[in-house]
Amino acid sequence: MAEEFSTDGMLDIYLFENEQLLEQLQDMVLEQKDADCFDEDSINEIFRTMHTIKGSSGIMMFDNITAVSHKLEDVFYYLRESKPHHVPHLELVEHVLEVQDFISNEMEKIRNGDPADGDASGIIADLDKFLEGIKKAEEGEGAEPVPENVHEAPKQFYIAPVATSASRFYKIYITFYPETEMSNVHAYKTVYALKEVAEDILYYPEDIISDEKSAEVIIEDGFKILLQAQCSEEEIRDIIGLGYDIKKVDVFECKAEEFLQGFDFGDQETPQEQETAAQEEKAQEQIENEEEAREEKKAEKPKIAPGDFVIKSKEPGKQKKLAKDKPKAEKASFISVNVSKMDQLMELIGELVISESVVLQNPDLKVPGLNLNSFNKAASQLSKISTDLQNVIMSMRMVPLTNTFQKMNRIVFDVSRKLGKDIEFEMVGEHTEVDKNIIEHISDPLMHLVRNAVDHGIETNAERAESGKPDKGKVTLSARTEAGKVWISVEDNGKGLDREKILAKARKQGILDSNKLDSEYTNKEVYQFITLPGFSTNEQVTEYSGRGVGMDVVVQNIQQIGGTLDIESSPGNGSIMSLKIPLTLAIIDGIVMETGNSSFVMETGVIKEFVRVKEDMMVDEPDGDEYIMIRGECFPVIRLGKWYGLTDYVQSIEDGIMLILEVEEKKVCLFVDKLVGEQEIVVKPIPSYIKKVKGLSGCTQLGDGSIALILDAAGLVE
Amino acid sequence: MDETSVSSQAQETQDDSEKKDVQKGMYMTFKSGNEYFGLKIQYVSEIIQFQAITAIPETEDYIKGLINLRGKVIPVIDVRLRFRQEPFEYDDRTCIIVLNVRSMLIGLIVEQIAEVVNIAEDSILPPPTIGRTDKAHSKYVYGIGKVGNSVKLLLDPDKLLNDDDLTAVEQTDDMTSEEE
Repeated sequence: MAEEFSTDGMLDIYLFENEQLLEQLQDMVLEQKDADCFDEDSINEIFRTMHTIKGSSGIMMFDNITAVSHKLEDVFYYLRESKPHHVPHLELVEHVLEVQDFISNEMEKIRNGDPADGDASGIIADLDKFLEGIKKAEEGEGAEPVPENVHEAPKQFYIAPVATSASRFYKIYITFYPETEMSNVHAYKTVYALKEVAEDILYYPEDIISDEKSAEVIIEDGFKILLQAQCSEEEIRDIIGLGYDIKKVDVFECKAEEFLQGFDFGDQETPQEQETAAQEEKAQEQIENEEEAREEKKAEKPKIAPGDFVIKSKEPGKQKKLAKDKPKAEKASFISVNVSKMDQLMELIGELVISESVVLQNPDLKVPGLNLNSFNKAASQLSKISTDLQNVIMSMRMVPLTNTFQKMNRIVFDVSRKLGKDIEFEMVGEHTEVDKNIIEHISDPLMHLVRNAVDHGIETNAERAESGKPDKGKVTLSARTEAGKVWISVEDNGKGLDREKILAKARKQGILDSNKLDSEYTNKEVYQFITLPGFSTNEQVTEYSGRGVGMDVVVQNIQQIGGTLDIESSPGNGSIMSLKIPLTLAIIDGIVMETGNSSFVMETGVIKEFVRVKEDMMVDEPDGDEYIMIRGECFPVIRLGKWYGLTDYVQSIEDGIMLILEVEEKKVCLFVDKLVGEQEIVVKPIPSYIKKVKGLSGCTQLGDGSIALILDAAGLVE
Repeated sequence: MDETSVSSQAQETQDDSEKKDVQKGMYMTFKSGNEYFGLKIQYVSEIIQFQAITAIPETEDYIKGLINLRGKVIPVIDVRLRFRQEPFEYDDRTCIIVLNVRSMLIGLIVEQIAEVVNIAEDSILPPPTIGRTDKAHSKYVYGIGKVGNSVKLLLDPDKLLNDDDLTAVEQTDDMTSEEE
């Protein structure tokens, strides 16, 4: 059976599954890094994770991964069994993360088709030393030495090749009353109840859900279950219970070998070994159907031969764990799709939106005297569907920031440990959803900001003590949505930005305007200096920051996706770096307008009002600037045609139309020739060959196939 | 036989060994002003009819704007303006040569498409440097190919599209405007 599956598929699943396990592992470890020790659940969890990775890596023959995970498993086995009191927790956390990094690295190599050739011996030696250390500390206290992992020990899921374990094996024989209707459903209920305790469960007839004939078989021959569990006979009886439907329950304890042989008890004929295996497989598949999709791997695993203890005993443990995890991870009924397929779908929907407007705004429809009643009805139905379709694809692309944030957790941990700073990390609103494309773009900038906060922002422990601040530095990463934008801020309670220092540095670099007094610069302006290339106020270059690259790259990356960086800071209390980024890049609502024979599009969100104005509302300044008074408010006026030096644009203010735009509390009036209509537009970047033009953020294809330029209100306001 | 094998090989190795390709290269030629120009055929993606261009403000005058090539937005430049020659009226015979330079698509508006010619390497001379006062011109012409009695000016698309001096100026402009 194994030949049916290409190793490629298995490799993909191996990588995917292990990646998830490692991610979970990291989250769990970091969650508890500040505790004094891991709680029992986590120890078990880490043990099991390592065990799973060890098992699957063993099958895939990645020896170094197997070795490392085995070593860490040993450590956690010891922790679990002997519950030592003197465990240097942080050191342990580092070891776990080190192992995680190692395996991730190796997996990356495997993914790229390189051999997984990392040298594991260093890590293994470290772990050995660490394990020896805690063992010695423990023995010093007079505790009993605990047998080695590989040897037998009670109460473990993992069964070493010498098969001994606390698991017991039962044969259960249930007889239903002959008049019971749908006995297969009752039987399934029993199986379901037993799954709670089961490490492994097989039953016959195996096809109790879909095969209605099985009901007759159950009534006639009884329902047989093979169970591997750690509970006693009484407990099993309790679980099954005697109801109105069940006439008799027989529970026999049996040996592991018998268990593996399958249903050879009672008057039942001894099935062929192969059949047993097939049943096993089926039974497993059935269990898996209720598990999440990624559990599919097991079905694809090579057939489990009887006697293959290690794999067999591992699986029940894993199933149990995942079943328990499900509500927490909320991963049920998710499927993973290749991103390129999603992108393709996205692109196609974009094209669909364009061709929809080609049809609906077709010039042929503008012939006077056409009766378009039923066309309009059909058209509005079409628009509704395509809008829904867009919303669905957009929501499919929305991913919570959780993963990105958790990566930052790791960075805070690593950097703060290396710098010897005591730093707490808090995440707020990590479930905020953002377009996947955007997530890819903000990961790096966020990393810079978080590193900066830990490295520059937060003082050393000694400095903090001196200034009378609480011992722990704190970095808060928060996200929220507001007005179609996502705000992500990195906040620290460190020393804040030093205005004088920045000004001094700026003067040295010759950025300051010599006609301007220092005090004339607002805080905001001063803080913006640190985003210039080559600007770093850190006197010392550290491993993490101070080289003067960083903030400018952050700003560049953020600007690329149409975002901005806001810096707030108060001396002594810390600083807040806020990224404001659009929720999505792909499709926006826009107003199409025309000026001087060119089409422009403006995002609907920033347009507050359209106004027809009269000449007497205009105020002209001698230097050519114009203002307009609307209802007692005065706005600066930009004539789009003049701004871009177009020809043939409307000159008289009364013939065109005025748009009031509002961006970040700044208002400005934009004068255009005429409005064309509102449309959903697919944003395309302006080819990189053309240098960035102020006030333009992209282009789009209009209904007639022509290209319109998308105006960037923020750029115009500047 | 020999030729086809050479040209297919040429396409494969187009990026790293352009000089080798010149050996028996095919050139797309077009007329601009009174002269004929040649471009290595492997840069040419297709030739399309003139179509409506959306102008982009605040760009160099030779960048005419954007066109919609079956859903792709590509920039187009006017070769005559690029060569600082007099502008010409676009008509039915005006064509756009779509080039693919380092996987960037770009359109060249040319007056008249000529033909595809074969120019052997030994018929290509370096551009004469003495007697030429028009420096800008000689920058994108990397060689002069002789075909029979006529002469084709061979263009380096990279230099044709990107004016290093200009971009340097733009960058400093950008920086000063950010500081304000």
